[in-house]
Amino acid sequence: MSVYRRSIWVFHLNTGSCNACDIEILDVLTPYHDVERFGIKLVASPRHADALLLTGPITKESLPKVIDALLAVPEPKLVIAIGSCTCGGGIWYDTYSTLGGLNELYRVLKEEYGIPEPPTVKVPGCPPRPEAIIYGVALALGIVKQKYSTTKVRVE
Amino acid sequence: MVDVVKTLYEVLGGKILRHEVIRDGVVIDVRPEDLVSVVKGITEGLGGIYTVVVGVDGRGIDNTYHSIYVFSLDELKTYVLIRVRLSPEDPKVESITPIVKGANWGEREVRDLLGIEVLGHPDPRTLILPDGWPSNTYPLRKDFSYCERPRLDNPGSNYVPQRSEEVVALPYGPYHPLLHEPEYFELHVKGETVVDVEYRGFHVHRGIEKLGESRLTYNQVPFVAERICGICGFVHNVCYCQAVENAAGIEVPERALYIRSLVLEVERIHSHLLWLGVACHVLGFDTGFMHAWRIREPVMYLAELLTGSRKTYGINLVGGVRRDVNRDSIEKVVKILKKVKEEYDHFVKSLTSVKEVVKRLEGSGILPKSEAISYGVVGPTARGSGLKRDVRVDHPYAAYKEASFRVPVYSECDNMSRLLVRVDEVYESISIIDQLIDKLPSGPIMAEDVEVPEFREGFSGVEAPRGEDVHYVITGRFSKVYRWKVRAPSYNNIPALKVMLHECPLSDAPLTIASIDPCFSCTDRLVVVDVLTGRKFRVDLRTLARRGKL
Amino acid sequence: MSRLSWIKKALEVGVVTRKYPFEHAEVPEGSRGLPEFDSSKCIGCSACANVCTPDAIRVVDDLNEGVRRVEYFVGRCIFCGRCAEVCPVSAIRITKEFELAYKDEVRFIIELKLVKCSNCGKPFTTTRHLNHVLGKVGEGLPELMTLCPDCRRKSTVNSFITPVGGTV
Repeated sequence: MSVYRRSIWVFHLNTGSCNACDIEILDVLTPYHDVERFGIKLVASPRHADALLLTGPITKESLPKVIDALLAVPEPKLVIAIGSCTCGGGIWYDTYSTLGGLNELYRVLKEEYGIPEPPTVKVPGCPPRPEAIIYGVALALGIVKQKYSTTKVRVE
Repeated sequence: MVDVVKTLYEVLGGKILRHEVIRDGVVIDVRPEDLVSVVKGITEGLGGIYTVVVGVDGRGIDNTYHSIYVFSLDELKTYVLIRVRLSPEDPKVESITPIVKGANWGEREVRDLLGIEVLGHPDPRTLILPDGWPSNTYPLRKDFSYCERPRLDNPGSNYVPQRSEEVVALPYGPYHPLLHEPEYFELHVKGETVVDVEYRGFHVHRGIEKLGESRLTYNQVPFVAERICGICGFVHNVCYCQAVENAAGIEVPERALYIRSLVLEVERIHSHLLWLGVACHVLGFDTGFMHAWRIREPVMYLAELLTGSRKTYGINLVGGVRRDVNRDSIEKVVKILKKVKEEYDHFVKSLTSVKEVVKRLEGSGILPKSEAISYGVVGPTARGSGLKRDVRVDHPYAAYKEASFRVPVYSECDNMSRLLVRVDEVYESISIIDQLIDKLPSGPIMAEDVEVPEFREGFSGVEAPRGEDVHYVITGRFSKVYRWKVRAPSYNNIPALKVMLHECPLSDAPLTIASIDPCFSCTDRLVVVDVLTGRKFRVDLRTLARRGKL
Repeated sequence: MSRLSWIKKALEVGVVTRKYPFEHAEVPEGSRGLPEFDSSKCIGCSACANVCTPDAIRVVDDLNEGVRRVEYFVGRCIFCGRCAEVCPVSAIRITKEFELAYKDEVRFIIELKLVKCSNCGKPFTTTRHLNHVLGKVGEGLPELMTLCPDCRRKSTVNSFITPVGGTV
């Protein structure tokens, strides 16, 4: 993602998360992990942001707000999904009041709004430790390569 | 327990149809028409403080609906559960909100989610279900599937802003830079003074209770319980496990109890440090924020050392804990905590010497003692209003009987006293950990033969960093839970904000809201889909999002 | 205590920032990260899938290909480590790995051959699972073990019934 050569500013959006991911995001900003050394800064409005940090499984009631916030982020935008809830729905992947993760959100965006999927990095973990979040951002910026990929083994 | 039952019969006489003593409480059955007078007897005669209302779809047990009103009798160190059984066709019950203010939300929740009609409720608006939710569809009834997603007809209706010459409605949320969770407060301001507040939360509802009652087995629920809240998750985890253990009569090995207490206190330290940091941030004092979080980081390391995860520890199961602590990690705990205490000491002294901080905190967000009792507030919010309530002392659990500690109480009733309560509690927690480590017994960490019989009731309370957290469980068949009710501390504290914010300058509002350490994800676990239904107007989701975003 | 004490403290503490990602992260022993699946040990018994709270591990029988698929989806895992606890053959090991961020979905899939019922021909478990159970049972009832649960039930019932006339 060569468009992000410089500092990225992020907007944090809780879409129904339990707070664990949110406090780890705050932790990343505090002295021990201090991501401001990379120029990463938390901003108060999606209009100022380059990237959207999403936490939580996207509850139905937060859906319209998530869409609004996502649309408010100027192009080129980046989505960083923090935590297993956002990546794959987590424990609530099939409950009545959640969407069950980011893939479902992208499906809604595509079908109902005709918006293509923005470049996305997913950081699984429950919650991901601060280092894992930094790693995810580094992956988004193209500093590191994805470490794992799908493997399929057939045995007798 | 005999004394408690005797006292109850003395006060209530023949109104008790039958009673049953469970661990940590007494269940009394009363006739629906006697409910109000029984509640009066409990609150006025015995000093009972409202805890929670639980609705149960008991059609699978005895073909009735149950409505259970729980009061905490702090002096007798027990809970009393008043149960009324209601007809399966047309469940109706008299409201107790006119005499117990705190029951307002609880009763509306029971009505919205179980369809139990509450008669004579002073504020009968829908609390939980959105406009357009199909009528006669109640998510917590057993005939509603957990993965059912009913279609909402016409979600949201026309937005009519409140029009008044003097009073302006000011949105605070749902996405506000100071709230790291989506919640919506509407502050009604007159000039610079807040005259009223409307709270519309419930954005973080994930269907947890229903999930725990349907897809999961009783040993999977602790992991869900932990994810009710990411800050004080272990509290829910312990509370659920205790409730099931109480129901099934399981004796947990002593070492497991010690480990639970140990981890609970580590969690309390991290949570209070986190809150202190956030409070500084809300005050615009970011130096304090950074220092508090710097001090907190070693505590997170401790948690990971003891449990294997920085947050959502996942070490509890029904009957004990999964992970033992070893000598090495205990030595590290002692060493790190000593350092944390020194740093913390310095932090607190420096913080309270900053004049601006003190001036902002003192005298703002007043919650008088009488109101605190009426709303049934819990935790530091109650202790900051001169109420000496602490589950660790009132209803001892885990290994807290083995430790001696002080319950800090301040009676100035303002934001400062709530801050000081938390400040003191960190010292107490460190001392509790030291004491427990000294006494840590050896032995197994998991009970043998964990068997959960069906249709038993269990009730348990745990003192979370934010106050009393209670769980109510009815065990079910096939290693599942029949009913699981969670009442998080913030659920009782948030309604009291109405009192705290009254006549408070607008600039103090964020601080006052933060002063109860509201945990929205805990509170919202139950609610379905939110559409703002304010007192005088309704806002649909998109309008709400737009209004609240910037 | 003056306000300068904050500055003094900051100078005293110095820099606490960790250098990660430019140095190795310090993760305490016993921290729970990515579960590692040993395909040479897995018998496809689905114990892990049964305890998995978020259903990150799923076990599905693909009858067309005649395989049982044990599928682990990292994006849903809550890293509780229950799977490793219940695995009867210790095929799952909890590592300290946390650098799991991905752009393309990561799934670890193990496919195990299904064994067919010697009577009705319906696949009912994996070869490895059957061998594992046979190893545990030892000498007893090996011919019953190659039957699917339905046929086994029928066979057991039949063995108790003495035919008088006709068939059962």
